Amino acid sequence: MSGERGQTARIGDRALSSAFGPLTAYRLPLTAVRNLLRHRIRTALAIAGITVSTAMLLDMVLLAGGIERSFGRLLLGRGFQIRISPKGTLPFDTDATIPDATRVRRIVAADTAVVAVGPLLGTSLYLRMGDSLVTLFGYGVDPTAQANYQLESGQDLAPGDSSGVLLSRPVAERLGASAGDTVTLVSRLDPEAAVAGVERRLTVRGIVHWLYDYKGQPSVGALLPVMQDLARLRAADRVSALIVKVRRDKDADATAARLRTALPMLEVNSVAALVSRFRERLVYFRQLSYILGSISLIITVLLVSVLMTITVNERLGEIATLRAIGISRRSIVRDVMAEGTILTLVGGVLGVLLGAATARYLDRILTSFPGLPAAISFFVPESQSLALAGAVLLATGILAGVYPALVAARAAIAETLRAEAT
Amino acid sequence: MRELLTAHGLTKDYPMNGETVHALRGVSLAIGAGEYVAIVGPSGCGKSTLLQLLGGIDTPSSGRVELDEIRLETLADRELTRLRLTRLGFVFQRFHLLPVLTAQENIELPMAEAGVRRAERRQRSMELLSYVGLADRAAHRATQLSGGEMQRVAIARALANRPAVILADEPTGELDVHTGQSILELFRRLVKDGTTLVVVTHDERLAAEAGRVIHMLDGQIQTPNAER
Repeated sequence: MSGERGQTARIGDRALSSAFGPLTAYRLPLTAVRNLLRHRIRTALAIAGITVSTAMLLDMVLLAGGIERSFGRLLLGRGFQIRISPKGTLPFDTDATIPDATRVRRIVAADTAVVAVGPLLGTSLYLRMGDSLVTLFGYGVDPTAQANYQLESGQDLAPGDSSGVLLSRPVAERLGASAGDTVTLVSRLDPEAAVAGVERRLTVRGIVHWLYDYKGQPSVGALLPVMQDLARLRAADRVSALIVKVRRDKDADATAARLRTALPMLEVNSVAALVSRFRERLVYFRQLSYILGSISLIITVLLVSVLMTITVNERLGEIATLRAIGISRRSIVRDVMAEGTILTLVGGVLGVLLGAATARYLDRILTSFPGLPAAISFFVPESQSLALAGAVLLATGILAGVYPALVAARAAIAETLRAEAT
Repeated sequence: MRELLTAHGLTKDYPMNGETVHALRGVSLAIGAGEYVAIVGPSGCGKSTLLQLLGGIDTPSSGRVELDEIRLETLADRELTRLRLTRLGFVFQRFHLLPVLTAQENIELPMAEAGVRRAERRQRSMELLSYVGLADRAAHRATQLSGGEMQRVAIARALANRPAVILADEPTGELDVHTGQSILELFRRLVKDGTTLVVVTHDERLAAEAGRVIHMLDGQIQTPNAER
């Protein structure tokens, strides 16, 4: 150490002359993490609390817009942006049907913005299994313009294939049927006419996934005329709904308005309008989600704030010493806030994992409700919402550290050291 | 001898239970560069308060302190903090090392705050640990050190930024006689190496080593020849 005095003065002078410049962040993660590890159980409990409230926040964010997004994706999955249904109903809302479907289809197709129109008939019918009849749901479709199934195996129906049928996976499994096998469909009995049901022997072309089926629903599909025959709706040429594809998405609302004028006896809605109406129905549900999400944020703030305040109060002597030896208020604030941020980050990451797991579990329960399309999800992740939730959580964690950080920064050095010494 | 640290008419009053305690009553002194000064006196006489005012930890009710002609009361909080960091070294009775850091990291702490680069910090902190005889304890956390070792690390920390003055408040107050002796020897070396040292102490051995002893009583300096 001999001979260092000259250097001492030089380094001191240099530091003083360049004083108040940016300080190094050398100690940030190191000290913050080690400080948190000083009280492992307390820190673990705080992280557990943040994890749970983050999971709750995440689930509420997913739930708030999830079903709406899922509904929109389902309806727009195959690009048909307009739905036409009987007046005052939504598609498949009731058993009501649209008469004279071919004429209506022609009117719709005449609109210059329209590129495709598909009919859809939904009816209940039976499938003969030996001596018994199994109740099914039947779809009448036009395979060239359909938006309600996806082929899983075998072949799709060809236009004019009046002897082919498509089975849902549950029906195929129940019958042990595959492409090439034959099945017998029986129409509903008409108690008023007291006539026996019409029977049609059809050949299985393929196994399909019906997009609007609930989980395990037994469904079959055939060309529209075949299903109209089985439903005794052929004479009046009735369908449940028409789906319309327009050239550009942005033309959907204007086209729907024109079709509404052209077809005043029918309900014409763009999918965007349907989603909007759906959203209105879910407004209370969404508000509840936001309230619960906000509560979880408040819990996070309180947890971080309380823990950090307790920790800072315990370390006031240490903090006063740091201030005495020249550590700036800014560094003290930064250190304390780093601890709060680390707590929030760790709890946040664990919360995302927990939230994702609980969302998946709850989604399985909710989507198993009868009558609900299996393709609908209640918890739908969306990058924008997740990023927003993450940013809000992080900001919350940082803000929660502000008060204890200020307590630390404002600690009176001399008084605290005197109190420590006694 | 060049005057390094001076105090002029320092007073310090505290409110306590509705009354005013006069901790310092017009203290003036001057400490020269390289001088070893001991401040002694009974408990409550104001010696620690004086040390805190000399170190810019506290502000006087009246009077002024100058370090190398820098008047401390003219500095803003940030400037005063920076001055404490770079020009003053503090040693406390209870060591006050950060328990979560190792001995070496504790010494690096003020250097890091001063913006000294990592390689330089590592080198100087090891030099300082060797100087206080604790090179083999560099990686030990503060909680793993004995009282004497902690105080030696605290002294090394105080030396980290090559300060103009070391201010020590009862540096042997928490140590047994044998351990206190090692601190005494360390101070002896510091003085020999030219360090300016101001020590508040009850320890007669520490006071005996000092080049000048200032006796305090009831907030005032008692030794007539200590006042200039």
